[in-house]
Amino acid sequence: MSQTIILTARAAAPRMRMRTEIVALALLAPSLIFLAAFTYWPVFGVTLRSLTQQRFGQNASYGFDNFARLFADPHFSTAVHNTIVYAAGTILPSLALALAFALALREQGTLTAALRAILVMPLLIPLVAASALFVFVFLPGGGLLDYYFAKLGLHATNWLGDPDLALAAIIAITIWKNTGYYMLFFLAGLAGIPEEYHEAAKIDGAGAITRFWRITLPLLGPTIAFVTVIALVNTLVQIDHIIVMTGGGPSDSTNMILYYIYQQAEQNMDTGLASAATVICVGSLLAISVLALRTLERGIHYES
Amino acid sequence: MRLLASTALAVSLLTAQAHAATDIDFFFPVPVQGKLAVEMTRLVDAFNSSQQDVHVTAVYTGAYDDTNLKTRAAIQAGKPPAAVLMSANFIREYVINNQAISLDGLIGADHETPGQFIGKFFPAVRPNAMEGGHVYGVPFQNSTPILYYNTDAFKEAGLDPEKPPVTWQEWVDDAKKLTKRDGATITRSGLTIISNYDTLGWLISGLSMSNGGDYYNRGWGGEVYYNTPSTIGAVQFMDDLVHKHHVMPEGVNDANAVANAFFAGRTAMMVNSTGALGFIRDNMKLPFKVAFVPRAMRNSVPIGGASLLIPTGNTPERQSAAWKLISYLTSPAVNGGWSRYTGYFAPRMAAYDLPEMKDYFAKNPDAKVAVDQLAYATPWFATFNTVGVRKAIEDQVQAVLSGKIKPAEAMANAQKAADALLRPYVEQTALKLPE
Repeated sequence: MSQTIILTARAAAPRMRMRTEIVALALLAPSLIFLAAFTYWPVFGVTLRSLTQQRFGQNASYGFDNFARLFADPHFSTAVHNTIVYAAGTILPSLALALAFALALREQGTLTAALRAILVMPLLIPLVAASALFVFVFLPGGGLLDYYFAKLGLHATNWLGDPDLALAAIIAITIWKNTGYYMLFFLAGLAGIPEEYHEAAKIDGAGAITRFWRITLPLLGPTIAFVTVIALVNTLVQIDHIIVMTGGGPSDSTNMILYYIYQQAEQNMDTGLASAATVICVGSLLAISVLALRTLERGIHYES
Repeated sequence: MRLLASTALAVSLLTAQAHAATDIDFFFPVPVQGKLAVEMTRLVDAFNSSQQDVHVTAVYTGAYDDTNLKTRAAIQAGKPPAAVLMSANFIREYVINNQAISLDGLIGADHETPGQFIGKFFPAVRPNAMEGGHVYGVPFQNSTPILYYNTDAFKEAGLDPEKPPVTWQEWVDDAKKLTKRDGATITRSGLTIISNYDTLGWLISGLSMSNGGDYYNRGWGGEVYYNTPSTIGAVQFMDDLVHKHHVMPEGVNDANAVANAFFAGRTAMMVNSTGALGFIRDNMKLPFKVAFVPRAMRNSVPIGGASLLIPTGNTPERQSAAWKLISYLTSPAVNGGWSRYTGYFAPRMAAYDLPEMKDYFAKNPDAKVAVDQLAYATPWFATFNTVGVRKAIEDQVQAVLSGKIKPAEAMANAQKAADALLRPYVEQTALKLPE
């Protein structure tokens, strides 16, 4: 009798497991289908296209010609260089500012709530609209910025038309736009740090600065890692202001990798070059994100 | 039984077709103000109610570049629109890529030769509508650059507002007198030439052609003449305006910034499109006039604007329906009305014989200057890879205007970059020789 039960159970176990798997698969299917159709399939398509060499009036062949052309293209090196400068110029200041604001405004109160709302405001304005407004702020001579600079005795500046200044102007807008957003994450992160740690440290005689470096910053590790990755993705995918304000100019000085991809794909109709640039771009983004999450999460063992 | 059913179906389909109108879609861009989209929809509605055979759905497809993108995507997806209003300098690429049909057959069905048909449009707009002697586009709205000047500033500088500069020498002399300085700072520039991407390439082509050049090969899309004395001279002229005569602001002057500077009296003269005339008229509070763009050796301004084309992949039935729409939109009355509404000039010459147009000129003499300048208009820059090849010179001229490089070296760079972009086409055409 007991033997039969064991036998049935043995026979039933794989069937049960299979059924659970089918149910799991069915439950996952909606998102799986969308992921496959709109993420994995395009990734596969872009990779294939980056290896397809098709020049005007010739039959397609396969190889690494697109990548060779990409690395030989001075416009691509300029775009990569600009993107690195842009990333360094936006991520560090906006993260530092966001953290500073979060620390200053972490207490609950009417005034802090109002100030927080003001800082988060740029997040609510679409980047396209903000860029269209900033075109007028930056207007040489008549813009808001030059209006106040003139009061200080400074003469008109062609902010977006000077290749040495245009990227800095773009960086400034990005910092303005994103700092409030990152501050929200830091506020959430700060709320998750138990107050006892600070109290214990205070009893041990640790000052505010020591407490920041030894308690707050290490415990914010996961938040910093997360925000860094978000900020990195933003530097690559946010190009609305470039399209509206400079078109990548003057002389490519504000051209970014994504805008370069757009130029190749839609203006020069060179899908091979555009796909190769996309593969490089997404590949390096993936590598940097993994690296950022790993290094920054390494030091976090305090929680349990 | 099945045969009977299918015959019945076929018969009913045929009769249905005989009664129902052919439904077609029409892509149109609006490069300037949004109110144009409303007017275009009104025109298409008027066409739909004027006859029973064709029903057109007008689809607003954004700016010129977006329309180009959407049209190419639709062609690749096998669902091309029946007609598109396309930036006239892209037509050559549509022909090169076999994405637009020759309109010769449809013209022939109307008992005209291609020559007779295109002869009804201003000579300056014809080359961008034709390729290898065949008609591919029907011009609908066009513009050229023109000189706008602030007449108050002219009076203040002791210049006669009735005598705008005619030659480059007079242009520089006047610009110097018109420039106001506060120490080393320029408070009013004598002249500003728009230098953002797209417009810059258009304006340089005009200056180069005025300076004796050809700028690009008009008959074949594989050659541009950047590293030539005529173009280097034109770029040197712009460089001098900034760095030698100090009458133009340094760096890139965006179209928007230039218009604003003109409205605020911070630039006394500007070169802008005739298509902006309505916009300037509405926003300029100070008195202004327009004049021909001054000349070096000859008057020359490039054409801009859009033509109607029929993409490949449409059935003959849809093609002839599209042709009916195109014929309607480019008829003298409709084309003239659109011109008065938008500020573009009407490419259809007969539009100017209509009484409404004569009244309009009497009221708006500046609109007449734009049309008179057409006698000196040259075709619009069009090559294989037009946008990229144009950007090759724009990047370099922007560097010149920012004081980063000198014209001769800049044009050598521009030529090299352009040749590299043209190379795939050149290899398949001019350098593809008998084996």
